[in-house]
Amino acid sequence: MKLIAGVDIGNSTTEVCIGAVGEDGRFQFLSGASRMTTGTKGTLPNVHGIKSALLEAMDRIRQPVSAIDLVRLNEAAPVIGDTAMETITETIITESSMIGHNPSTPAGAGDAVGELLFLENIWKGKPGTPYIVVASNRFSYEEAAARLNQYIPELDVRGLILQADEAVLVENRLSKKIPIVDEVRHIRKVPEGKLAAIEVALPGTSIRMLSNPYGIATLLGLDAEETRSVTPIAKSLIGKRSAVVIRTPHGNVQENVLPAGEITFHGEKDVNINIDSGADGIMEALSSAGEIRDIDGEKHTNVGNMLSRIKTSMADVAQEQDSEIRITDILAVDTLAPVEISGSLAGETCMEKAVGIAAMVKTRHLPMQKIAERLEQELHVRSTVAGVEAVMASLGAMTTPGTRLPLAILDMGGGSTDAAVLEADGRVRTTHQAGAGELVSMLIQTELGLGSRTTAEQIKKYPMGKVESLFHMRLENGAMQFFEESIDPRYYGHVVLLAPGEMLKIEEDIPMERILEVRRDAKRKVFVRNALRALTAVAPDRDLRKIPNVVLVGGSAEDFEIPEMLTEALSEYRIVCGRGNIRGTEGPRNAVATGLVLSYLG
Amino acid sequence: MVVNRPEVVIYVKDADQDFLAEVCAGIEEEGVLFRVQSHEGDLDTLAYEAANESMLGSGIGICERGLAMQMMHLPKGKNVFELNEPAFWQCRNLGANSARAVKKMPFRAVY
Repeated sequence: MKLIAGVDIGNSTTEVCIGAVGEDGRFQFLSGASRMTTGTKGTLPNVHGIKSALLEAMDRIRQPVSAIDLVRLNEAAPVIGDTAMETITETIITESSMIGHNPSTPAGAGDAVGELLFLENIWKGKPGTPYIVVASNRFSYEEAAARLNQYIPELDVRGLILQADEAVLVENRLSKKIPIVDEVRHIRKVPEGKLAAIEVALPGTSIRMLSNPYGIATLLGLDAEETRSVTPIAKSLIGKRSAVVIRTPHGNVQENVLPAGEITFHGEKDVNINIDSGADGIMEALSSAGEIRDIDGEKHTNVGNMLSRIKTSMADVAQEQDSEIRITDILAVDTLAPVEISGSLAGETCMEKAVGIAAMVKTRHLPMQKIAERLEQELHVRSTVAGVEAVMASLGAMTTPGTRLPLAILDMGGGSTDAAVLEADGRVRTTHQAGAGELVSMLIQTELGLGSRTTAEQIKKYPMGKVESLFHMRLENGAMQFFEESIDPRYYGHVVLLAPGEMLKIEEDIPMERILEVRRDAKRKVFVRNALRALTAVAPDRDLRKIPNVVLVGGSAEDFEIPEMLTEALSEYRIVCGRGNIRGTEGPRNAVATGLVLSYLG
Repeated sequence: MVVNRPEVVIYVKDADQDFLAEVCAGIEEEGVLFRVQSHEGDLDTLAYEAANESMLGSGIGICERGLAMQMMHLPKGKNVFELNEPAFWQCRNLGANSARAVKKMPFRAVY
């Protein structure tokens, strides 16, 4: 009896599978294991991860690693994926002309117009002039209220802007009801003496006057030309609970379109496309260019820098010359990113247009042979490089119960989405496409404005719930879950992710519905689009309907909702599509390793 | 008929008046009603009984220069937050948190 080990080195995990071949040629699977890939796929540091995975698999069948007769490594596809994001618009406030944010507790309601006046200078105020008073946090709420009450009988105070979070406290002590905006961080930048309009929305609604260009015109008495120039201000105030617009002669909010630049596809013919045309335009241009040799961007523009950055970082990994690294595929996705407006007074953000791009770099060759040699030295077990990744994955996927030839696999990993069709006569067609799990994480991170990529990864992976009391939470599907022991109060009121065995708190204050929407949208934008693109490329006669069944394998096939999304999307083409179950036991993992062992039999 | 107002209950015993004022300000800014009342017992007892007395299920105990926030149905002594010799901003946020517990909003940092 001989023991054969199949080893698959992926972008993120290394998988092994152990099989035994008897004297009579009978074959039996014994064990398998999965470990994090150490180092970049296809480089010597991988050996460490391979050894520990082999050790774990052999431990399960209580045998030493030296009992293995042959290790078979996959000929990994020489593709490495990377992602980048570029905003293509930016908003700049010049001369502090507005404040628009969502303080948790503003006070009063309605709108008012007046001249800005700092509280410390209130004695300078003239009777008969309407004022909006500005108070820094040097004044406590009691002092501020007392001072205002002292002057209210003689001065016409119409509204109040506070730095501290004390709007309700001041309002409760004032002798006159006025709208009060609080939590204005950079209050020193408010220009005294200018005319300003202030608005606080009624509870449960958002502002109405200041989010309307004509509303601003009415309050500040603007002419047609000036009204035109405040339109971006009105736009960026939509949906806010409180706002201040200040009339400054040169003040404005500008929405700049950044010089986004062009992408050039070098294919059967060269095609240029401007990033401004959005993801759909870019993808259309890509497919019209035919087979792609390389992609680059206009020099000294955002996209140009982005693509050359990807190439440089790939060159470091593959240790090849920059010029030999070629980008052979990209996936562009439209997105919106909340970006803090430059020149803001209270940390206002604006949703800026952005394009997320995943690029796939083809290098000439990965040094798999060197890995096999090193492995042989260290383990004293014969090791060979055997079989192309996609073919092996198809062979492994065939062990899923209920499949038949011709069979298509869709291998959704972290960096790339690969597809292969295995025909009944043994022919295999393969394709590698840019864009997979990492692009989804990046989209989630930017659209939700998250500080860390790790949080975005976790949002992608785990379902959510909102802790509604110390004893129960509402899950994302509406169900309730109760707890015997009280939940740690730090989780109270927060959205939490339900990782196995623990709860992870999302620090940012984002409603659960919004996270759910962004998460599903990101997955759909990347995976459904890429699945159709990849399967069309390998389908007989490029006709999707000629593929009878698709088996989903790879890390992203383990996701709790991506396989269902694809099953739904592909059912339109009468394709049987579902998560693979390698050897009937392994789920979508281990396809390549299993294929490597199977292929030993021929 | 006894009518209970929906309010956060604060039980105090020899409470530091400045701390109490900050706690009240925190609750008031959140727009929730509250009531301050003298009570007997140690800090855990004050907070526990305040929470169970409050029809909103949220209470605060202040004993000299120590403060604790408690919620209904939590065991006595297992205070949600507990402060000893705090800074004023901590008291303000502790008060805000007792109100935010009622509004089911995430707590502010108190430590």
